[in-house]
Amino acid sequence: MQRAAYLVGEAFTSLRRNILVVAAAVLAVFVSLALAFGALVFNELVRLNTLQWQEGNHLIVWLRDDVSQPAHLALLEEVLGYDEVLAAEYFDKSQAFTEFRELFADEPALLEIVDPVLLPTSIRIELTNIDLYETVQFRLLGEPAVDSISVQADAIENLLSVTRVLSSIGLGLVVLLGTAAIVLIANTIRMAIYARREEVGIMKLVGAGNWFIRIPFLLEGVIEGILGGALAVGAIVLGHYFLSQVPTDFFVRFQVSADFLVRWGVLFLAFGGLAGFVGSSLGLRRFLKV
Amino acid sequence: MIRLQDVTKVYGGGIVAARDVNLDIRKGEFVFLVGPSGSGKSTLIRMCLREERVTKGTIWVAGKDITTLPNWKVPYLRRSVGTVFQDFKLLPTKTVGENVAFALEVLGRPKSVTRRQVAQVLELVGLATKADRYPRQLSGGEQQRVSVARAFVNRPPILLADEPTGNLDPATSVGIMRLLDRINRTGTTIVMATHDHAIVDAMRRRVVQLERGRVVRDANEGGYESGYEAGFEGDDEQSPSTAAGGV
Repeated sequence: MQRAAYLVGEAFTSLRRNILVVAAAVLAVFVSLALAFGALVFNELVRLNTLQWQEGNHLIVWLRDDVSQPAHLALLEEVLGYDEVLAAEYFDKSQAFTEFRELFADEPALLEIVDPVLLPTSIRIELTNIDLYETVQFRLLGEPAVDSISVQADAIENLLSVTRVLSSIGLGLVVLLGTAAIVLIANTIRMAIYARREEVGIMKLVGAGNWFIRIPFLLEGVIEGILGGALAVGAIVLGHYFLSQVPTDFFVRFQVSADFLVRWGVLFLAFGGLAGFVGSSLGLRRFLKV
Repeated sequence: MIRLQDVTKVYGGGIVAARDVNLDIRKGEFVFLVGPSGSGKSTLIRMCLREERVTKGTIWVAGKDITTLPNWKVPYLRRSVGTVFQDFKLLPTKTVGENVAFALEVLGRPKSVTRRQVAQVLELVGLATKADRYPRQLSGGEQQRVSVARAFVNRPPILLADEPTGNLDPATSVGIMRLLDRINRTGTTIVMATHDHAIVDAMRRRVVQLERGRVVRDANEGGYESGYEAGFEGDDEQSPSTAAGGV
């Protein structure tokens, strides 16, 4: 216990001594993790807002509840017969409810009052070519079972492809900045060792165990990493909070679930700690040979 | 207690610091390593601490072959060997008491044990009243006493001293030698590298003389001078760094 207190105390003393370099390392961890976390939240927002339009959904045909299910299925058969249709799928009430739950995961009040029976069934259609949607739409509007038809707008397709590009650029930046952060941490550890080389030399001389010498430096790196991670998580959670307060119409939402934020927030803290550990291990490698 | 068998050390650049050194130091002995600068005294001491590795040969310390000792066990070797150096190696930011206690703290000794042993050893070296001073407030001789106290606080069976009087005036040196002698009388084996003639001549202990990495004399109750001139014959393969050796 006393040893643990000593080791932690040493780490904090050392952090204070090199405050400027430590700040640089913490900032680097902060920027790279905030970018990664931000990209993740952005991706999640896009996914939530385009949930119905993924996996090649081009048209959603909402069906009338006052028409019997056999009529729905007959319509599905008919749709599958169209030349323009590549695939079509019947989306019943339970599937609709599953989707609804995911869409409004963070609004339990809404989930509670919605009865699966109230949700509309639909047919999800993938076209051989999205430009043909007008023909199909026109043909189907005359059907008695059809309530309304939603078309995947060009905007959504554009959004999805922009998201893909942004995601890969973001990933590249995260890798670069993450590397920079680790190298910076390694550097602060080297400076800390250099500042205390006399002390470390004497510790070795009197037979201090290797881990006894190393642990304060390792801790120092891990603390830097976790600090950076905490700042990143804090910034993104705060940013997300303000974004979620922006008034939007019901179907566009700038809000991911609290569960998502907590799960990834904890993970990003761990990432920070891991980056610190890797960085300080690198910094220690050369200097603490026996 | 310490045994060297055919020990050779060649540094990068071909500088030979030890050449087929054979030496057997028994428990409780007090041995002087003498010879000019560059003759290999410090290298021998550093090899016994595994600060340097031998190029060839074997060294046993306290019954263990330390040339094949895995790195993670080296700290345990150093706990059984106290060390004193010419430059004291004290931490300027810690008091005398803290400097000595440091040696026990890094071993994880409980605070109560540390306090008691530090008090005892400071008493032994005659600095009991100066435990709260900082090294810069002490004279050179006192600082070296602190360093001896730190080396001995753990009661190691062996004490290695590399020019412990090198920075001290003759009168102060005598005090340090008395202290080392007293520690030796407790059964601690002491090996001391020095080129202080007066001390070696006065103590009349075993003297091992080195010249360019070779043991050229090993005499019980010896003096510093022996008339042995082998070292000055001119050995061309040696670097010229030994020129200023001796006095």
